[in-house]
Amino acid sequence: MAETPAPSTPSRAVSRPVSEALLNEKWDRCLSNLIIKSTVGLGFGVVFSVLLFKRRAWPALVGVGFGAGRAYEECNYSLKAAARDIKRNKA
Amino acid sequence: MLRTSLRSVRAVAPGRQWQVSRRAVLSGQRFYAANTTHPNQPDEPKLPPTTPSTAPIPPPPTPSSTVATKPVPPPPAATARTTATITPPPPRRKKGFFRRLRNYLLTLIFLGAAAFGGGVWYSRINDSFHDFFTEYVPYGEEAVLYLEELDFKKRFPDAAVRATGRRPDAEQVKIPAQSGASWRVADGSEASGRQHSSVQKTAAAKVAAQPKEVPAVAEAKQETAKLPAAESKPKPEDKKPSRAAKKKAEPKPAAENAVVPAAAAAAAAAAPAAAAPAAAPASASASGWRAPEVDEPSRWPPASPIDPLAVPHAADPVVQDLVRMLNDLVAVINHDGAADKYGPAVGKAKAEIGRVGGKIREIKEQAEREAAQQVKQRVDEFDRAANELVARLEGALAAQEQQFRREFEHEMERLRQSYESKAKLVQERERQLAEERLGNQLLEQAVQLQRQFANDIRKHVEEERGARLGRLRELARAVEDLERLTAGWGDVVDANLRAQQLHVAVEAVRASLDDARHPRPFVRELVALKEIASDDPVVGAAIASIPPAAYQRGVSTPAELIDRFRRVAAEVRKAALLPDDAGVASHASSYVLSKVLFRKQGLAAGDDVESILTRTQTLLEEGDLDNAAREMNGLTGWAKTLSRDWLAEVRRVLEVRQALEVIQAEARLQSLRLEQ
Repeated sequence: MAETPAPSTPSRAVSRPVSEALLNEKWDRCLSNLIIKSTVGLGFGVVFSVLLFKRRAWPALVGVGFGAGRAYEECNYSLKAAARDIKRNKA
Repeated sequence: MLRTSLRSVRAVAPGRQWQVSRRAVLSGQRFYAANTTHPNQPDEPKLPPTTPSTAPIPPPPTPSSTVATKPVPPPPAATARTTATITPPPPRRKKGFFRRLRNYLLTLIFLGAAAFGGGVWYSRINDSFHDFFTEYVPYGEEAVLYLEELDFKKRFPDAAVRATGRRPDAEQVKIPAQSGASWRVADGSEASGRQHSSVQKTAAAKVAAQPKEVPAVAEAKQETAKLPAAESKPKPEDKKPSRAAKKKAEPKPAAENAVVPAAAAAAAAAAPAAAAPAAAPASASASGWRAPEVDEPSRWPPASPIDPLAVPHAADPVVQDLVRMLNDLVAVINHDGAADKYGPAVGKAKAEIGRVGGKIREIKEQAEREAAQQVKQRVDEFDRAANELVARLEGALAAQEQQFRREFEHEMERLRQSYESKAKLVQERERQLAEERLGNQLLEQAVQLQRQFANDIRKHVEEERGARLGRLRELARAVEDLERLTAGWGDVVDANLRAQQLHVAVEAVRASLDDARHPRPFVRELVALKEIASDDPVVGAAIASIPPAAYQRGVSTPAELIDRFRRVAAEVRKAALLPDDAGVASHASSYVLSKVLFRKQGLAAGDDVESILTRTQTLLEEGDLDNAAREMNGLTGWAKTLSRDWLAEVRRVLEVRQALEVIQAEARLQSLRLEQ
C-alpha cells in the first residue's frame, strides 16, 4: 500500500522518508527482524534438539521463542525512541 | 698648731730668735707689770707663740715647763720611771695576796709607763700620732712639749739661758727692757751702773737694783708724761715707746717737741731696737743727776748746765743732723763732766747752729716766697695762655661755622638748581608725550573714519549686487521648475510602462501556477518579475519571502494536495489511539482498533484526531487551504509527526500565493498612482 503515490514522489522518498510513511517503515523493520531472529532461534533449537535432545520438539520452539522475544524487544525500543524524539522535537 | 708654731720659730735664724725671745721677755715683763698696775689692760698680741700656750695653763705652774730647769720633772713619765725603779724590790720581800696584787700593779704601771714613753717617742716621729697622742692621752701633751723644749734648749742654749733667766723672776726683767743697743753701749765702764742689758746682770745686782730702780722708772715715767704736753695718754706712751720707735711713726712728734732730749735722741738714733733703750738713758741720766746732787752737791753742780740744743724749727734734716751731732757732743761732754771746759764753745756752736737754722729758714722762706711768686706767675701765664687758646679756638670755630654755613648755602643753591632743571626737563617730556599721544589719537580717528567709509561703500555695493543676483536666481529657479515638470511627465510615462509590465509578469506567474496539472518550476517568470520591479522594495520583499524550493520545484496544485491528504489521513487514523509512550503492543492495538472506528462527516466538533481530520477534509473540499492547514497544525504526538510533510507542502503553496497577491496589489497600487 506504500507504492500508491505518484511517480514524482518516489524520488522524494528515496532521499528522505515521507512523514506519513515513518510508522510503516518501522513496522517493516520490526517484522523482518522478527522473522530473522525467529529463524535463527529455530535453527539453533533444531541443532540442539538433534545434537543433544534426541530430536525432541521443544528445543526448537524455545529457540524460536528466544528469537521472537529478542525481535519484539528491539522493535519496542525503536518505537519508544521515536516517540521520545517526537517529544523532544516538540519541546 | 703648737708644734707648727714652734717649728716656725725654730726655722727662724738664731739671731732673730734671740730678738723674738727678747721681745717676748720684754713683753712678758710688761704684761705682768700691766697686770699688777692695770688688770683690765688687754694682753699684747705680739707675744711669742710659746707664751700663750703656757698662759692658758697657769693653774699648774709646773707643767708649763718651757723654762723649767732640768731637775724639775713635770711629766708623770719621770715619776713613773722613778717609781718603777724604786718599787721592784718590795715584791720579793712580801708574799701572798698582797704580793700578787703589787706585782700586778707594778707590771701594769711599768707597762703603762713604757707605753707612755713609747707614745711620746713615737709622737715626735709621726705627726698624726703626735696629734692623737697629745689629744687623747692624759699628760701626753705636756710630756711631748717638755721633750720638745729640751730638744729646743739643746739646740739653742742661749735662748734657753735667756728664757731661764727671765722666767723665774718676772719682775726683774722689767729693767733690762729699757736698756738696748744705743750709742751708750760704747762706754762699757758704766755698763754695770747703767744696766743697759738685763742679760748681763747678775742675780745679786738684780736683787739690789730692784727696789731702787722701780721708783726711778716711775719717776722717769712721770717726767716724760709731763714734758710732752701734746701727748694725751702718758701711760700707754710709756709702755710702748719701743714699739713706737720700731714703727718709726712716732719720732715725728718727739722731734717736733724737741724739748724732750730723750725723744730727740731717739729720733736721731732711729734704730728700731734701740728705741726702747733710748728712753732708759733719759731716765737714767735724770736719776744720775739728782742722785749726785743729793750725794755730792759740791762737785757736780756746774757740770749739769749744758743743755742739749733745742732749735725751734728743726724740720730741716740738715739742721736736725747738726742738732743731733751737737746733742751727741753735749751728751758726751756732760757724761765726761767737762761741761765748764767746753761750755763756751758749745754755746757758740749752739748759737751758730741756731743762726744756721735761722738762715736756712730764711733761705727756705725766701725760696718759698720765690717759688710762690713763680708759681703765681706761672699760673697767670697759664691762665693767659688758656684764655688765648680758648679765644683762638672760639675764633676758629666761628670761622669754621661760617665756612660751613657758606658751603651749606652754596650746596643748597646747587641742589635747588639741579632739581629745578630736572623738574623742567620732566615737564618738557610730559608735554611732548601728551602731544604725541594726542597726535596718535587723531591719526587713529582718521584711520577709523577711512575704514568706516570704505565699509559703507562696500556694503552699498554688495547690496546692489545682491539685489541683482536675487533676481537672476529667481529666474534660474523658474527654469528648473519647468525642467522638472517635463522630467516628471517622462517619469510618469516610464512608471506607467513599468506597472503594465508588472501586471503582465504577475499574470504570467499566476497562469503558470494555475494551469499546470502537476507542479512545475516558475523560476523564469519570477526572474522577469524581479527585473521589472527591481526598484520596488515591496516587490523585492515579497519575492524574497517565497522559499527557494517553491520556485525551483514548483508548488503542488490543490487537487494534488487533497489526494495526498487522503493518504496522510489514513496513516494518521492508524496512530490516532496511541498513548504518549507507546510500545509495539499499543501500536498494534491502535492499528487494529482504528479499523473499527466510526467515520465522522462535515464539520465535526471535538479535539480528537478523528474530528480534526474530518474538519480538515471538509475545509479542503471547500478550497480553504489556510484553515485546513490551521486545523492540521492542532494535532499532537505521532499524528503531527506523520502529517508534518503535508503541512509543509500546504504552507509553501500558501506563501507563494500570498507573495503573488502582494505583488499584484503593488502593481495595482502603482497603476492607481499613475492614474492620479
